[in-house]
Amino acid sequence: MTWDVLVVGAGAAGMAAALSAREAGAASVLLADRSARLGGVLPQCLHTGFGMGIFRQELTGADYAARWAAMVGAAPIALRLDTTVLSLTPDRRALLSGRSGVEELSFHALVLAAGCREIPIGALALPGTRPAGIFTAGQAQRMVNLQGLSLGRRIVILGSGDVGLIMARQFALTGCSVEAVVEQRNHCGGLLRNYHQCIEAYGIPLLTRTTVSCIHGEGRICGVTLRQLDSGAEYVQPCDTLVTALGMIPERELLRPLGEALPPWVFLCGNCRSIHRTVDTVSRQGEAAGRDAAGWALRSREAG
Amino acid sequence: MSTELHYDVVVLGGGLLGCFAARHLTSYRLRCALVEAREDVCTGISRSNSAIVYTGCDNKPGTLKARLCVQANRSFAQLCAQLSVPFVRLGSLLVSYGPRGDQVVRRKYDQGQENGVDGLAILTGAQAAALEPGLTPGISSALLAPDTGVTDPWALCYAAYENARANGCKIYLNSPATALGREGKTWRITAGAYTLRAGAVLNCCGLEAHRVQELCAPPTVRVIPDRADYLVLDQPAGPYVRHVIFQEPEQNGKGLTLIPTTDGKLLLGPSEQPGGAAPRRAVTPEGLDFLRRTAARVAPGLELNQVIRAFGAVRPNPFSVRREGDAWVPEDKGIHSFTISTPCPGLWSLIGIKTPGLTCADALGAMLAGEAAAYVGKDRPNPDFDPCRPLPPRPRELDSAARRALVQANPAYGRVICRCEDVTEGEILDAIRRGAVTLDGVKRRVGPGLGRCQGSWCTDQVLDLLARALGVSPGEITQDGPGSPLLGGGGT
Repeated sequence: MTWDVLVVGAGAAGMAAALSAREAGAASVLLADRSARLGGVLPQCLHTGFGMGIFRQELTGADYAARWAAMVGAAPIALRLDTTVLSLTPDRRALLSGRSGVEELSFHALVLAAGCREIPIGALALPGTRPAGIFTAGQAQRMVNLQGLSLGRRIVILGSGDVGLIMARQFALTGCSVEAVVEQRNHCGGLLRNYHQCIEAYGIPLLTRTTVSCIHGEGRICGVTLRQLDSGAEYVQPCDTLVTALGMIPERELLRPLGEALPPWVFLCGNCRSIHRTVDTVSRQGEAAGRDAAGWALRSREAG
Repeated sequence: MSTELHYDVVVLGGGLLGCFAARHLTSYRLRCALVEAREDVCTGISRSNSAIVYTGCDNKPGTLKARLCVQANRSFAQLCAQLSVPFVRLGSLLVSYGPRGDQVVRRKYDQGQENGVDGLAILTGAQAAALEPGLTPGISSALLAPDTGVTDPWALCYAAYENARANGCKIYLNSPATALGREGKTWRITAGAYTLRAGAVLNCCGLEAHRVQELCAPPTVRVIPDRADYLVLDQPAGPYVRHVIFQEPEQNGKGLTLIPTTDGKLLLGPSEQPGGAAPRRAVTPEGLDFLRRTAARVAPGLELNQVIRAFGAVRPNPFSVRREGDAWVPEDKGIHSFTISTPCPGLWSLIGIKTPGLTCADALGAMLAGEAAAYVGKDRPNPDFDPCRPLPPRPRELDSAARRALVQANPAYGRVICRCEDVTEGEILDAIRRGAVTLDGVKRRVGPGLGRCQGSWCTDQVLDLLARALGVSPGEITQDGPGSPLLGGGGT
């Protein structure tokens, strides 16, 4: 069979897209995600601030995801969880792989809702050693919130994006010492709300116009050199953990074999289209992409 | 107190040289062992290099280096086929932008001809530019060496290790050599918890090789390491050049090397700095600056925002030493040729084997193993020796039908853990079975964390698989051996 709509990624955008594609008349919708559960990055977000736009309520990310997951579960949407979409071809076929098998399928329209990845520290190509104890903020959030792991005690956060700010608070709440949040711009990168609630309220220093210029430590990280960009002054800040919140890159590598121009049957939404600051806009964009994809699929089916 | 373990030949050091020496020892009818200080092999010099298989046109005619390099290059494809290691003969271009570089091109061409390197050609600037349109215009001449290749140095080291082990070489890990001495007709080695006796010893201890030799002999050669930095660019940058590119600068000093890797990325480097007192593999600001500056000049279209990692390497430069009072002082100029020191009968020390050490590792191993086997009088061939090392399945290299069949037989090969490099749970479990005990050990064997996200998605899953397979708590898992726990910080 040929699926009307294949949705890659079951986070906020993908779940909304799958539901709206069904509502818009797609007869068969397949929703695939590499994680074992629905929700993408949301289940690891245990803080509130999600859902005011859509549910008129302050929810945690996990609760926000759970509401959508319940709707997806109740709808006739086929799920492939713990399953990775390996590749796409220009003739609208996809190769999926999971523990249950390798599956090759064809589809009429594709919604790419694959989210984004975090810019890793490697991209900065910093001088110094390459010790253990360096995590991206989202990775740290997943390891702490979903797996209950303890990453370190004395923490420096590089970059003041929202996930970095949220993690600063979380580290402070669990008794870690957050030595500094380091930001090269002259202002906080995250939402003002997060600055007040996560940094200011816990007395965590936000060092603007500052960056990490060297990493120290042979086995585990033992410190970073901080450089004040305006004066050029440097000093070593001891730490046993460095968390990076350097920004996000839309995850669009699957589209690479399809060429430069986006084929008309591909519909992008959520953070793999552009980086969003709140989840409600992601869900809304997912809904629109799902509708458009269903429309394309119906026309494509009629055209035979 | 442990009993003594008796072997005909013991290899000290599990880098490329040690693993290949061990591999070739198993081709004789003798008892051999490989002793490594760390928790795994391939953790020293061998872990970071340019991945280039050289032709031999850089080496002085008549030297061991030139002879081995030419010979090793010719048989490299066969070696990699036996050991299931990636190898691509991309060819290389040494590009010059002026009269000084042109002389180098000419000299290396003549040298290569004399050494017997096949297929060398001097190209005009226009011919070179046509082959490599991404390079800065103005090339004055270039040396094309079609036999230059790239390989996966980690895969090569692990393959030699696994092949040696499969052919009967005994392995002792976590066993740094602390005493080495001749007693009667044999050598007595103290290494970690073990005491070994051997008829012959091959010292392949890399940066520690001179120290190990000095356990039983006065200093002759010492290693003074240099440092080198590299930048890794993500896959879209891989095809920026089609050959390995060596840029020959007009000023004295080093040019830029661009290396398309076997996994489709692009490696820039090495820069070259003196060793100094800073940590051995630390990346230096000077090195990074050099790489960025020369890349902008030589490959102006290359987008450096595709960098996903910078890493440092060490180069073991050998220097002869002479006694001055109580101290041993190195000569001003390093030793250019491969240094194989034999200070006492039955001991061979490879001290300061640098470029083209990767290319020549198998040839050097064969040579040393042959000499040691003859020395202990056991150089009859081992009829059971199998030179081939099978590689566990690599789902990403299979077509969809074969991949489907593999996953049906073993579902772990269906679950993708590292999306960037398409590495499955099954491969990670294989890596652990093959000897990986750290995150880096898994990474170097099968690749999770080498890609554009640098492990931010998969590290915790690899951690979990390692902890379960080894039967320890995640807190005990290290990134790269003792002192590098992934979790919990320094424990203060």
